Amino acid sequence: MNNIMSVIFASDQETKLNELTLHRTAASLPIFGRYRCIDFTLSNLVNSQITQIGIITRSNYSSLMDHIRMGRDWDLNRKNGGITVFPPYASNTTRSVFKGKIEALYGIMEFFEKASEEYVIITNSNVIANIDFDDVYAKHLEKGADITMLTYTSNPTTSKRVLLDLDKDSRVVGTRITQVASKEECEIGINVYLLKTELLIRLVRDTFERGFVDFEKNIIQQKSSELKIYSYHVNGHCALIDDVKSYYNESMKILQEQVRDDLFGVEGAKVYTKVKDSVPTRYRAHATVENSLIADGCDINGKVVNSILFRGVKVEEGAEITNSIIMENGRVMKNASLDYVITDKNVTVTEEKGISGTNSYPIVIVKNKTV
Amino acid sequence: MFSNKKECVAMLLAGGQGTRLYSLTRDVAKPAVSFGGKYRIIDFPLSNCINSNIDTIGVLTQYKPFDLNQYIGNGQPWDLDRLNGGVFVLPPYVTGESGDWYKGTANAIYQNIAFIDKFSPEYVLILSGDHIYKMDYDKMLDYHKEKGSDCTIAVINVPIEEASRFGIMNTNPDNSVYEFEEKPKQPKSTNASMGIYIFNWQKLRKYLIEDEADPKSSNDFGKNIIPNMLKDGQKLFAYNFEGYWKDVGTIASLWEANMDIINEESGINLDDNSWKIYARNAAEPPHYIGQTGKIVNSLVTEGCEIEGTVINSVISSGVRIAKGAYVENCNIMPNAHIEEGADVRFAIVGQNAVVNKNAKVGDTQVGPVKGEWQITVVGPNAKVKENEVVPVKAMVD
Repeated sequence: MNNIMSVIFASDQETKLNELTLHRTAASLPIFGRYRCIDFTLSNLVNSQITQIGIITRSNYSSLMDHIRMGRDWDLNRKNGGITVFPPYASNTTRSVFKGKIEALYGIMEFFEKASEEYVIITNSNVIANIDFDDVYAKHLEKGADITMLTYTSNPTTSKRVLLDLDKDSRVVGTRITQVASKEECEIGINVYLLKTELLIRLVRDTFERGFVDFEKNIIQQKSSELKIYSYHVNGHCALIDDVKSYYNESMKILQEQVRDDLFGVEGAKVYTKVKDSVPTRYRAHATVENSLIADGCDINGKVVNSILFRGVKVEEGAEITNSIIMENGRVMKNASLDYVITDKNVTVTEEKGISGTNSYPIVIVKNKTV
Repeated sequence: MFSNKKECVAMLLAGGQGTRLYSLTRDVAKPAVSFGGKYRIIDFPLSNCINSNIDTIGVLTQYKPFDLNQYIGNGQPWDLDRLNGGVFVLPPYVTGESGDWYKGTANAIYQNIAFIDKFSPEYVLILSGDHIYKMDYDKMLDYHKEKGSDCTIAVINVPIEEASRFGIMNTNPDNSVYEFEEKPKQPKSTNASMGIYIFNWQKLRKYLIEDEADPKSSNDFGKNIIPNMLKDGQKLFAYNFEGYWKDVGTIASLWEANMDIINEESGINLDDNSWKIYARNAAEPPHYIGQTGKIVNSLVTEGCEIEGTVINSVISSGVRIAKGAYVENCNIMPNAHIEEGADVRFAIVGQNAVVNKNAKVGDTQVGPVKGEWQITVVGPNAKVKENEVVPVKAMVD
C-alpha cells in the first residue's frame, strides 16, 4: 500500500530486558533462532507493500544498524522510500534524548511533512505477529476511524499496558493504563496505530507544545472521547516482548505447531531477516534432538530437548541442553548441562559445567562470556 | 584508473541440457539443480568467482532458462549487484539478420564477443555450470600470467582407470600442453581437463572468429578451439588443481557429491568462512525437530519439520518428514514431503515430490555395482502412492 508510511520505535520499555539489552536495543533482540524482534514488524510492513519506513532509536543502536544495513534483506534498499534511521540526538531540538514518543515524533516532523503518503503506521518493534496492514487499512476506512489501534486478548503482563473498553462496533469507549501486571484477560493495545499523517502531525504538535510526551496517555487515553478510535483485533498468534520472562515464554511458544503456522506459514507473508549464508546444520553420531527449533550452521553431537539453538551453535558429545535458548555461536562443551538458561551471543559453557535456572526465572548469561 | 575496464571477465556455460539427470532437469537447467540442502549447483562457480575477486560474469543460458534466470536475479546473494560489472544472464538472441541457438560452447562465447569487448578485458575465464568444487581462480590467473600462457587449462589428477572418461592433457615437464585427447582409449597421462580455461582475450577472439567461419567445425572448445591453438603452436599450459572436484552430470555422481558434503573426510568443506558458498536464501524459519524425530549423521536446513528418522542424508529447505517415516542415505530436495511410515533409502527425491504413507522407495545397498551406486529417483513434483513399492534404480516421474 503505497499510500501508507511507517515509523517504528526501536525501543520503548527496554530497561526491563536487563542483561539482554546491555549491548543492543530491544528491536535487535535475537529471537526464534535466526531473527531479531524488529524483523516481524519490518516484514509485515514490506509484505503489505509499505516501503517508506523511519526507525527512531534511543540508545545502543549500533547493533540495529548492523542488522538492518541498507534494508536490502527486506527489499527496502529503494530509491524512493526505503529505511531512514533516526539516531537519538538528531531527532529533537533540545539536544537531549527524547522523554516520550510524542517528543520523538515531534523531533522528526520534517519526515512526516515531506512524505507524500496520506496515512502513517506508528509501531513499536517488540510485536511478534503476522499482520496484514492492507486489511487494517480496509477496516480503518470501513469504520471511518480517526485512529485504528491494533489489539490482542491477553492479561497485562507488565505496567503501561493500554486496556480497552470497546462498544459492539469495536470503538474504544474507555481506556485504562496499567500500573502492575494482573491475571485479568482483556483487550489490550499492542502500541500499533494507523492514522492520517496530517492528523498525526496535528496531534503531536498540539500535545507536545502543551508539554506532554506520552503517546498512550496524552493522545490515546485523553483524546479517546473526541476522536473516533477503533480497535483492530490481530488474528492468529500475537505476542509482546518486554521483559526476560516474556522473552523466554514467548520464545518457547515457537515449539507449538500452531504458533509456527501463524507466524511462518502464511502464504505470501514470509519473515525476512539479515542473511548470513550459514551452512546447513550437521547432526553427528551422538545427536539426540527432541521438540526443538534449530537454526542453520549448528553442529550437534549431544542432547537437545525443548530448546532453541541460534545459528552456529556447537553442542559437543555428552552435553545436555533442556528448556534453554542458546544464541548465535554458542558453544556447549563435553558433558556440560543447561536447564532453563538463556545464553547470549558467543557464550561458551566449558566441559562438565552444570547450570540451571527455573521456569519462572531463567538464568541469563551475558554476551561473550565463558563459564 | 577510472574506466569500465575489467582485467578478467568470467563466462559461465550454463546451457547444458543435463539429459543424464533425467527428470531432475525436466523443468530446470542443470546448473539450477538443488544441491547440498540449501544450494544450487551454480552457486559453486558463482561463489568461486566472487571469492576470487572476479565481479563480472556472463551466464550463458539456453535450455529451460526461466528458473535459472529468476534464481540469479540481480546477483545480490553473491554480492554481484554491481554498478560496473556484476552478473549478466546471456541467452541466445537475434542480431540483425543472424541469430541462432548456441551451436556449441565456442559458439556461445562467439555470439557474446560484443558483451566481453565492452569490458576490454585482458583475460577471459571460461567455466561450466555442472561441477562441485572450491577454487581460487585468482591463483590460476597468476599462474597464467607467470607462464606467459595464451591459454591455461585447469587439470585434476584422476585414477588411470578412469582417465578414458575425460579429456586428457598430455604435458611436457614445464607443464606446457603438447597434445589434447578427448576420452582416449589408452590414456598417456592422468591430467583430466576440468572444463576451466583462461584465455588471453584478443587471442581467443581471433580463434573464435576463425572457428565460426569454418563450416565443418562443431564450435566446441575441446574439439576445435584447443586443438587449433595447439596446431598453431600457441602457448598452452596445464594448471594443476588439488582439492575436491566433482562432475555432477549423472544421478549417481550427484548423489555421491551430496554424500560427500556429509562426510568430513571427502575434502569439500562448506563450513569455511574464508571461502563461503553463497546461495539465494529461501527466507524460511529454522527447522523444527519433533518429539519423535531422530537425526544421525545428516545435514538439515531451514524450513524443515522432522518427526521421523533421518540417517546419513541431506535434507533441503522446507522438507517435511512425518512420524514413523525412515530416510537413509538420501538427498531430499526442497519442499518434498515424506509421509508417515514411508521408507526411502539410497534415493534422490526431487523438489515438491511427495512419498505417500507406507510407500517404499529404493533399498539399502552393500556398495556400488561396477563403480556406480544404484540410486532410485523420485522426480520433482512426482507422487509415490500409498503403499507403492519403487524398486532400486527406478525413476518416478
